Amino acid sequence: MEKRIVGVIGSGSFGLAVSNLIAHNYDVMLFSRNPDVVDKINNTHEHKDQKLSEKIIATGDPEEVARKCFLIFPLVPSNNFQEMLRNFSPYLTPRHILIHGTKGFHIEKDLANAEKLDKEDVYTMSELILKETSVVRVGCMAGPNLAREIADGQVGGTVIASRFNEVIKEGQKAINSNVFRAYGSNEILGVEMAGVLKNYIAIASGMLNALGLGDNAKSLLITRGMAEMIYISKAFNASEKAFLGMAGIGDLMATCNSKLSRNYRVGYFLAEGKKLEDIIKEIGEVAEGVKTLKVVKLLSHYGFNAPIADALYEIIYGEWSIEKGVNFLMSRPVSFDADYVD
Amino acid sequence: MTKKNFTLPENRVYIDKVQPFVHEDIEKWPIHVQYNNREEFIKQVVELTIKNASWLTKDGKTFRRELKNILYQEKIRLTQDPWKSDDPKEKLFWKDIKKQIIASSTLEYQNDTRDVDEKILKDILNYYGEEMTPNFKVKSYRFVQNVLPPVYVRLMSPLKELFFNFFSSKMNFFRKMKVTGDVDHIRSLSKQGTVVVVPTHFSNLDSPTIGYSLNAIGLSAFTYGAGVNLFTLNALSRLMNNLGAYRVDRRRKHRLYLEFLKNFSKVAILNEINSLFFPGGTRSRSGALESRLKLGLLGTTIEAQRMNFERDLKNGKKIFIVPATLNYHYVFEANSLIDQHLKQVGKEEYLMDEDHSSFSALKRAYKVITANAGMVVSFGPPMDVLGNIVDREGQSFDKSGQKVEIRDYFMLNNQLTQDSQRDQQYTQILGEAIVEKFKTHNVVLSSHIVAFTAFQILRKRFNHFSIYEVLRLPQDETTIPKTEFRIIFDRVRDRLIEMSENKEVLLGEEFDLPQEELITHGIKHVGNYHDKKVLKMNRHGMIYTQSMKLLFFYHNRLTGYELEQYI
Repeated sequence: MEKRIVGVIGSGSFGLAVSNLIAHNYDVMLFSRNPDVVDKINNTHEHKDQKLSEKIIATGDPEEVARKCFLIFPLVPSNNFQEMLRNFSPYLTPRHILIHGTKGFHIEKDLANAEKLDKEDVYTMSELILKETSVVRVGCMAGPNLAREIADGQVGGTVIASRFNEVIKEGQKAINSNVFRAYGSNEILGVEMAGVLKNYIAIASGMLNALGLGDNAKSLLITRGMAEMIYISKAFNASEKAFLGMAGIGDLMATCNSKLSRNYRVGYFLAEGKKLEDIIKEIGEVAEGVKTLKVVKLLSHYGFNAPIADALYEIIYGEWSIEKGVNFLMSRPVSFDADYVD
Repeated sequence: MTKKNFTLPENRVYIDKVQPFVHEDIEKWPIHVQYNNREEFIKQVVELTIKNASWLTKDGKTFRRELKNILYQEKIRLTQDPWKSDDPKEKLFWKDIKKQIIASSTLEYQNDTRDVDEKILKDILNYYGEEMTPNFKVKSYRFVQNVLPPVYVRLMSPLKELFFNFFSSKMNFFRKMKVTGDVDHIRSLSKQGTVVVVPTHFSNLDSPTIGYSLNAIGLSAFTYGAGVNLFTLNALSRLMNNLGAYRVDRRRKHRLYLEFLKNFSKVAILNEINSLFFPGGTRSRSGALESRLKLGLLGTTIEAQRMNFERDLKNGKKIFIVPATLNYHYVFEANSLIDQHLKQVGKEEYLMDEDHSSFSALKRAYKVITANAGMVVSFGPPMDVLGNIVDREGQSFDKSGQKVEIRDYFMLNNQLTQDSQRDQQYTQILGEAIVEKFKTHNVVLSSHIVAFTAFQILRKRFNHFSIYEVLRLPQDETTIPKTEFRIIFDRVRDRLIEMSENKEVLLGEEFDLPQEELITHGIKHVGNYHDKKVLKMNRHGMIYTQSMKLLFFYHNRLTGYELEQYI
């Protein structure tokens, strides 16, 4: 294997897990904005309960990352993504390839006070990279990638999507190993939409579990959840293809069944009667699904059919009980199955 | 109504005199040097085509099969779709190719045809090269430069004006043809690299219009592909051939020919010959601005740029893309263009009406020499091959104003690499940038805004009709009271003025006129060459059209700006 340093931005649990994956193939330069974390990683090779490969070196200098690495994986939450890009932007050039792994939207408006969103207000992370930097070769990594399982070295897979085949190829070379398989796709928008939208379905799944509903109910949720994810994405001109792959059905299966998923836990605790603010405090990291739900609601004037999002929104942001939400969903007229496929 | 005050955008200043050549010595122009070194030029195109022909040459079987297929298609073309312009010797050439294939057919059993096939391929490519490669004669160029513009200008002038001013300086080229854009910028860049001009296209007049404009702003001559059918007339054929127009045969659709054509363009650009192609591929049938481009020839600029860096990684010459929009108050072929458009889009829903009487042909001929064309050529900002804006020194800046090196787009892990899929994506990005510049640097004429307003009023009035039913409205159903027209016109005009202030579009100088005069100007000029009046105002103050189709055609120039909501 050739000598190369691959950059990773973000020292959250996912950033650490991906760094370890890449370390199978290349040296890794891991960026953290927190100097203590940088020191800790460089001194102890351990952070957030993950043992880190010795091939991972941490830094707090964006210029160094951009100078030494042409391939960089930004893996920071969507809320910090723009700020991170603005820090890196002066050093990024069209030479760089960026493959992000962030399953969230960036919203150009103040989400808390917005009454309606237009498509132009909503950016996927790859669109934000294109907007904020000179980089054009952009990709996205999405799939059933629970950080804890990757960290434990369990077998898994993902998809790397980009309009550029060379981005997919370089991403695969960095990520693939005998425990992890990275598939390729040119449907970047679909893959990103799938990665983001599954977040709120996971919240619903956590709720169902806490209510003691069984596997039939969960399958119903996942299947209809995927249908409405596709309806929403089609309004953004994404095709349904990505939803049948790792980022769609693959990610839904994992995240709707796993207690490791933050979104799932949010739903679970809500159903137990805990308050959202307390849950967010307890989980410690952002649950993108709560934000996604609001975004979907504010986009609903585009006329897509998203009853699960409607019900969840009323439960989380409104006054509905979970039972009322379930009743609402079960009393709707039934349509044709899988009508998103021609 | 009062006129809204607004300041003219800087680049709506029209140039008023012919600029001296940036490169004075015509003999040293790349187009002259390269095309006069014909053999070497053809050799380069042939070699590049062979280098990129692995799809054809990858194995003996495919190679032979494809050659037979090419031979078959060429024969079909010659027998079933012959044109006057076809070279009489061509039949002999393909006969000879056939002979070579037959003579070597015994080798096919031994899989040993490669040597023969390589020779055949070379023969074919050399034939294409000989056919396609033009000359560039200084004398012909001077002739066209000095003699034709005055003739052209006089042809485009109303008879009355012509009568009084035939020998006058008022027959200045730029009185008839408005050229706008940052000309100094383009001139400056032409010293540093190859300029590729990509104009909008809806009239056969576009080629001479853009050709003269480029000459008038002092750039070295441009090479461009011209359909073989234009080479039918002997004198014209020789003239075009001597001006650097390369022959393109649209009947040939097989891959080898298309690849050869692309490589021809690449070699021309690589050898610093300024190039011109219409990225819409063909004339816009609907009259609308091009929103989707043909990426084939456009992609040659990206590949040529990469090859420039392969030659010299540090100082590889840059290629500059200059979008240009062309506008006229009338388009000669509007009638047939819009017919073709509607037929194509509407299929059986569209019923064509035939009324091409000989009387109308006479009338047309008369009007050709009396009308005022009001041509406007607007050069957009020069870009690099990724659609980034470049400054006068040729330095690229991305959309947020950050300096970028074009070389970096072709680098992977610090190496310059070739990747055709990447090139395709870059071509799309460039295409999108060009389409955007077409929109923002389109000059809206009075004729466009009156046509747009009138058509949209009628469209809205008959919104329960299909577009084809609207197009068949009888004349008396098309009348719009002037008072109603004025109110809506004003809204559209105000929005356009606002857009021009936001640099989203350019406005023709008529927009300085008070509203009333602007309307009159538009109605007078819109499609003023056609037999039927596109718009007319009667003495009762009613505005109407004699041809909904033509009104639709001229209206289409303003679709895509979301002005419909102001109706």
